Amino acid sequence: MTSPANAQRPELLDPAQLNALGGLEIRARWVVEGFLTGLHRSRKKGFSVEFAEHRPYQSGDDLRYMDWKMAARADKWLIKLFEEETNLRATVVLDVSKSMDWTGSPARLTKLAYAETLVAAVSLLLLKQRDAVGLIRFDDEVRTVVPPRSRDVHFHRILAALADPGAGKGSDAPGALLRAARLVPRPGLVIVVSDLLLDPRSTIEAVQALRGAGHQVTVLHLLDPAERDLSISGAEVVFVDPETGTEVEASVGDVRAAYRATVVEAIAEWRSRLAGAGASYEPIYTDSPFAVPVRRAFLARRRLP
Amino acid sequence: MSLLAPLALLLGLAAAVPLWLHLRHRKVEMRVEFPGVRYLLRAEQEHARELKVRNVLLMLLRVAIVLLVALAAASPMARFGVVGHGPTALAVVLDNSMSTGAVVNGRSVLADLQDAAHAVVNRARGTDRVWLVTADGVVTGGASSATAAAIDRATPLAGAGDLAAAVRRAAALVSGASLPSSRVVVVTDGQANAWPVRLAAVAAPVLIYAPTAPPPANRAVTRVVPDPPHWAPRGVLRASVLSREPVSWRAALGDVTLARGLVAAGASIEVGAAPAAHGWVAGTVELPPDELRADDVRPFAVHVGLAPAAHADASAGAFARTALAALVADGRVREGGGVAITSAEALGAFPALVAAPVDPARVALANRALERARIPWRFGERHSGPVQARGDGLDGTTVQRFYALQRQGDEAPADTLVRAAGEPLVVAGDGWVLMAVALDPADTDLPLRASFLPWLDRTIARRLATDAGPVIDAAPSATLARPSWATGLEEPDGTVQPLSGRTIRAPDKSGVYFLRRGTERSGAVVVASDSSESVLDRASSAAIARRFAGRGAAGVDDPRVLADRAWSDRSPRPLIAGLLIGALLLLAAETWVSRRDLAGEA
Repeated sequence: MTSPANAQRPELLDPAQLNALGGLEIRARWVVEGFLTGLHRSRKKGFSVEFAEHRPYQSGDDLRYMDWKMAARADKWLIKLFEEETNLRATVVLDVSKSMDWTGSPARLTKLAYAETLVAAVSLLLLKQRDAVGLIRFDDEVRTVVPPRSRDVHFHRILAALADPGAGKGSDAPGALLRAARLVPRPGLVIVVSDLLLDPRSTIEAVQALRGAGHQVTVLHLLDPAERDLSISGAEVVFVDPETGTEVEASVGDVRAAYRATVVEAIAEWRSRLAGAGASYEPIYTDSPFAVPVRRAFLARRRLP
Repeated sequence: MSLLAPLALLLGLAAAVPLWLHLRHRKVEMRVEFPGVRYLLRAEQEHARELKVRNVLLMLLRVAIVLLVALAAASPMARFGVVGHGPTALAVVLDNSMSTGAVVNGRSVLADLQDAAHAVVNRARGTDRVWLVTADGVVTGGASSATAAAIDRATPLAGAGDLAAAVRRAAALVSGASLPSSRVVVVTDGQANAWPVRLAAVAAPVLIYAPTAPPPANRAVTRVVPDPPHWAPRGVLRASVLSREPVSWRAALGDVTLARGLVAAGASIEVGAAPAAHGWVAGTVELPPDELRADDVRPFAVHVGLAPAAHADASAGAFARTALAALVADGRVREGGGVAITSAEALGAFPALVAAPVDPARVALANRALERARIPWRFGERHSGPVQARGDGLDGTTVQRFYALQRQGDEAPADTLVRAAGEPLVVAGDGWVLMAVALDPADTDLPLRASFLPWLDRTIARRLATDAGPVIDAAPSATLARPSWATGLEEPDGTVQPLSGRTIRAPDKSGVYFLRRGTERSGAVVVASDSSESVLDRASSAAIARRFAGRGAAGVDDPRVLADRAWSDRSPRPLIAGLLIGALLLLAAETWVSRRDLAGEA
């Protein structure tokens, strides 16, 4: 149920409800606007630019950047060059494998749909802070690469990339992460959005490689509530892995408790191993409002210099 | 164990369902695409053993639940041992007869019996009903607290009471309580002669406790008879003593000691006396105190005074006059007015001993005289004998001719003293004794028999002399016929209780209680225990139990065993509640096991 206060804070809406309100760009802007409103930040803060140098005026230059004082004092027509206050180059690595395209309930978003909105919102947030944002989508191979840029129009490139068609079955996260390392030559932020149905060892090695290159790594582990609880209707069920095709026959009632315990253990293992590799880790459930993962991504950004 | 609905056991076949579900090859209901398959595989690998154990445990629990429910549906009934008891109606019959006042090792037998009764009553539960019935038939209880208080209040009676009646009363109480189980517990000193040889079966099981220790040796004055009952003023006091050894005694009349002595075992006491006191006097014959004090002193009452005056007129016949002269010579009767011995047709004033006319022709005249005197009897048809008389000490008397006595209405109470051939031969009323036969040897051999003189003496002294009424011997609390003239009962302390109705209840304490006619003492009720109560010989509890008809009685010799067996509920009790509770507990266990997180987290 949405309270009146939440109605003005789209990032606090139920993700499925928000999904019904508009397209990806609109949703992302609502989330970010609502989030920034919630921060109570000054408009000027963090958006300033600094003077870098002069260069001679050339035909076609924007007259707004003409240094009129210099022209009056020295009769030189010079154009002021500014250095953008871009502290960060962030790359979002999004898992678009088949396991991500799944939901345990028609009333909820698939993990992929949830992730796309999340990625759009995070990208917009970073761009608003004049950070450069890039995007890598991967399944069993890297599907899309959008290099980091800080211009506003870059947001549309990211949106276009998110709209690219689907993926193969498997997930090659290590390859995508290494690709991200090459894509961002100087230290930056890498945000991994995945259901982490991956090979842990190679993934951790890739994260360690990123950390070795000076990148901050934040892993957002997407989970559908049904994956957490095994809240599947039926008594005797054959479960089929959408990526590998592996089949497991089980009595849901008998195995549910053990399954839940195993999921808890797996989350604890990811948290532990990623922490050991120097990466931050957050499990995100697809019934959580977007404010939750956006805030965590934002906090990860704030921790950087 | 028995089953009220054995067919319901077929429900137990349903136990095969969870068993079959556990063993069968499960039928897959659906295929689901599920990304978390790797977690599922890992869960099954890591918890395979726990899952197997849990599945077997769940199967066993479910099978047990079904079996318990099926068994409960069959309504099983089972007997339990001494552990616990169901709602029970229990009546304790406490023998507080005189004999329980005996002291053994410094403690009264009744105190031991009270302890045994308390041990029983203290185990009562809130769902039980408990009564106490004492030997005199008094009932207390309904709740264990009231019964326990009544046990404490019990004191030895002055007499034997009626234990058989008390048991019948107790059985009626418990059987009417409509509780699943009922029992009568008898706590007695086991005095053998307190229990009838044969006792009818009662409506509830009877459990009898009696101590096994031998009874104390007892001395007692078992009988005291003043002879005659009216001393004029000489008389003889005869007493019987129960003792296994010579024992000293003392006889007293009022505050005066008549005599002292030593009586041998089995011998009697005979004391001649001519006391100076006149009127009705109470006395005692006493022995030294022993373990049972209640029978060491036995009361008696005697009337001391002038001999009753009597005369016989000519119509009474020569035999009556001769007999009266003999009584006068012996000092038992004074010659003079007072009691008249007369033939009916010559009847004048009361008191009078009235004989039938010798001449049948004078019957009509005699009946008119009876009518004038308001005697409610008339002479009827004359019967011819011979027939034998019965009653009032005249057994064996032969009657050749007598008149049928016809009662006229119900004008006044009358006693039939003697019968012949089933018809009244001698009747008595207030101030008169009427004979249906003439005192003539041609009509009866009564005037010739040795019993005639004592009978005439008794009739004059006890029934007709106006200044000396009867002495009535009574057991404590016994019901007696009230003499029509008695208006009050004087207690030993001098207080007078007014009397009315046809009966009176004898006091429950031993002693002499004088009957009052107005302000005058005119008789006495001597309350004393039955002499058999002084014989303390005991029967075992088993022997007493065998006296009950049927198999409903059992004996116990140990008071602790008595308390155990008193509440041992041998009646079948329903198990359905326990089985259903067990099924619910198993169901809760099944729920807990099925929802339990194997890794300890929800």
